[in-house]
Amino acid sequence: MRTTIKIFLFTVAVSLFYTYVGHMVPQKEFHPPMTIELRADLTPAELAEIGRQIVAGKGTCLTCHTIGADKPGRFPDLGGIGARAAHRKPGYSDVDYLAESLYRPNAYIVPGFAPGMPQVNKPPIGLTDQEILAVIAYLQSLGGTPTVTLKTKLKWAGETATQETAPAPAGGTEGAGGGPQALFTKYLCTTCHKLDAPGKLVGPSLYDVGSRLSKGEIYEAIMDPDATVAPGFPPGIMSATLKANKFYQKVTPAELKAMVDYLASLKGDK
Amino acid sequence: MANCELPAERRRACLGFGLPLAFLLLAASLVLAANGAQEGGAVTKAVEYRHFPVIGSRVAVWIIAQLHLMFGAFVLAVPMFALIIEFIGYKTGDKRYDQLAYEFTRLLSVSFSFTASLGALLTFMLFILYPKVMNYLTQIFSWTFFPYVLLFFLEAVFLYSYYYGWGKFHPVTHLLIGLALNLVGIGIIFIADAWLTFMNTPRGIDQAGHLVNLWEAINNYIWMPINIHRLIANISFGGSIAAAYGAYRFLASSTPEERAHYDWMGYVGNFIAISALLPLPFAGYWLGTEIYAYSQTLGVVLMGGTFSWLFIIQAVLIGNLFLAANYYLWVSMQRIEGAERYYRFIKYLLASITLCFLVWATPHSLVATVQEARAMGGQHHPILGVLGVMSAKNTAVNILILTTYISFLLYRRGNKEPTVSWARTGNLIQFAIFAFAVVFVIFLGVYGYFVEAKVRIRLSVPQVLTVLLTMIVVTLIDVFMFKNARIKGPIRWGEMPARSQYALFFIAITFAWTMGLMGYVRSGMRQHWHVYNVMKDTSPDAYTPTLGFAANVITITVLIFFSFIAVIFWLTGLTSKKSSGAKWEASA
Repeated sequence: MRTTIKIFLFTVAVSLFYTYVGHMVPQKEFHPPMTIELRADLTPAELAEIGRQIVAGKGTCLTCHTIGADKPGRFPDLGGIGARAAHRKPGYSDVDYLAESLYRPNAYIVPGFAPGMPQVNKPPIGLTDQEILAVIAYLQSLGGTPTVTLKTKLKWAGETATQETAPAPAGGTEGAGGGPQALFTKYLCTTCHKLDAPGKLVGPSLYDVGSRLSKGEIYEAIMDPDATVAPGFPPGIMSATLKANKFYQKVTPAELKAMVDYLASLKGDK
Repeated sequence: MANCELPAERRRACLGFGLPLAFLLLAASLVLAANGAQEGGAVTKAVEYRHFPVIGSRVAVWIIAQLHLMFGAFVLAVPMFALIIEFIGYKTGDKRYDQLAYEFTRLLSVSFSFTASLGALLTFMLFILYPKVMNYLTQIFSWTFFPYVLLFFLEAVFLYSYYYGWGKFHPVTHLLIGLALNLVGIGIIFIADAWLTFMNTPRGIDQAGHLVNLWEAINNYIWMPINIHRLIANISFGGSIAAAYGAYRFLASSTPEERAHYDWMGYVGNFIAISALLPLPFAGYWLGTEIYAYSQTLGVVLMGGTFSWLFIIQAVLIGNLFLAANYYLWVSMQRIEGAERYYRFIKYLLASITLCFLVWATPHSLVATVQEARAMGGQHHPILGVLGVMSAKNTAVNILILTTYISFLLYRRGNKEPTVSWARTGNLIQFAIFAFAVVFVIFLGVYGYFVEAKVRIRLSVPQVLTVLLTMIVVTLIDVFMFKNARIKGPIRWGEMPARSQYALFFIAITFAWTMGLMGYVRSGMRQHWHVYNVMKDTSPDAYTPTLGFAANVITITVLIFFSFIAVIFWLTGLTSKKSSGAKWEASA
């Protein structure tokens, strides 16, 4: 009986050790992506902003693509694609090329890369035609100027496997999947910083931070707020607040990257 | 062959037959009920999910499915190595092998009833809690249910004939029954694998999900890789549980004869487990390749996205398995006269295992504090980040396998002195082969950093083939070199410290935990899909939980499993208490 008890305790101890290992790695739940509702009157710039959320969320594009990286990942880097797209294939406009890349990704393979990207309008990604237009607008904005709207007709539109939503009436956009903007609410950044307009709250407005700071400086400003303090603002408040909120324990590397990327994209009125 | 039948066993046989039959009836009635609901039950059609109290439907099905898989793995694996051991006993005339095979088989009787009961419970829960999914899978696979039921029935017939027919049939007839038992068992697992692999990589259906070709649905991308991976893993797992049984009986033994017998049993069980473990990573590569071939998105979710950290946990588990397996071999050398001359190598082997373990468990992106992240310039450590990629990890795994093989080689040579004239040359050739293999595997690993991803992925093939070929060639040389070897001293079976037996328990628990983890990722990689790309999970449990939550569920499952196993060990022990020690003494 004593042997049995010792074996039982040993079994429990080993199992608990592995449970501990399981808890030591980053903890994150992954929720199913939700369809983003689009207003019919969105401007190309607004559409590009929604496209950015889709690229980072439901589209899962950044699992394989990078944006502005020194070395590309599994698939080509998308930095500057808005400028390159019009010259990729003879006779193709930038919109045609980008649309084909999304609906027929293996029709043209960038030299040096292997085929393998899935059709984004089919499961498991299953973007709607409207969501694809938003992605195209965003891709155009990477080195170019977005031109597409929800009225733009694409050659392959209508082939989507799941038309889960129709354009919603005017009245706001919703990124239910939770894009970078949602992170600023989640971590209470917007309590002290404005993101969409100039003017200070407790901290300076971030609406033009991308034109003032590089990505590295933004990263440092988040991770070590007191390293460089904006003139006219007291040091210590942000670092104390973030520590109190356990921001540094909670934020994941992917979230941090998304926040930095988003802030770097805020150029003010430019 | 010994006739070991006891009256009490007959009663358990009735129980053993009764439960599988109950399962078959239940499964059949559920399938019929599902078909009926699908054709005309408007009310049933509306119900897509039902809620299981307290823990929810997902966790309830998760635990029962995993328990069923663990018992199924054990029940299908034990007859494989029992048959081989029985065959060795038949060919050599050594009664100990026959007795050992019988003792392994004795574990099956109660386990089979547990497996069937859990299978019935799982079927019951799936049809009640997930009627939409089960209706769909029934539409696709209904014709496979009939051969499955038939094979299950035959499994029961052959299993009990094999067990109760021990010593009553002609040895060859008995071996043939064992062979039939194994073939039927393989058939069962292949059919069940078709159902679950279809959910990950569906084929044979049109865009709306309707069945077009049943054979294609069965023979989907990962069906055969999973079949092979599971067969090997089952043997490994079954061996480890059998070794744990030997360890349990060893620790509970009161006589030197019993200790000797169960020491040997634990050794053989562990030998089977580790022998099967060595080729398992290679089967895993094949499985991974097929997943990528089906969908790069799915492959990236598995290896580079959502579940990438799960493979760090897996590295810790497998690293521990190798460490414990080597440790057991090193401790086992203490009971071999003459093995002292090899002790000096153990420290180098330990260093190699530790180094490989550390490389394998190095993550590509680190969880770092603010200061650390800033110092590193990101999430990748400037030096260790280099080790967190597949080139380094593949290299580490291959060298880990080679190191374990060397430990076994030293154990095998323990009390032997070669008498052939070319012994020195043979040793030099073996050393040269090892050296070449290690250098070549490392070279390919380093080369992988300088080539494109599509080339790098393919480098794992020559690495694997090099290691496999090395083990085969070195074994062949060793067999011939130690033929008619001079024996320096006996193996003192039973003279093992208790900690060696806890190493066997450690291996069994780690195997069970690994099975739980890999079962989770195999199912979880579909994320919010019941059938990938075909049927979405729209239940409240559609999200993928954290790895910590998964670890909690796996631990609970493992503890329930070992509680059941303890009951099986106890029941099996009741019938073998009086016989084993005496038989060992008589036949040793």
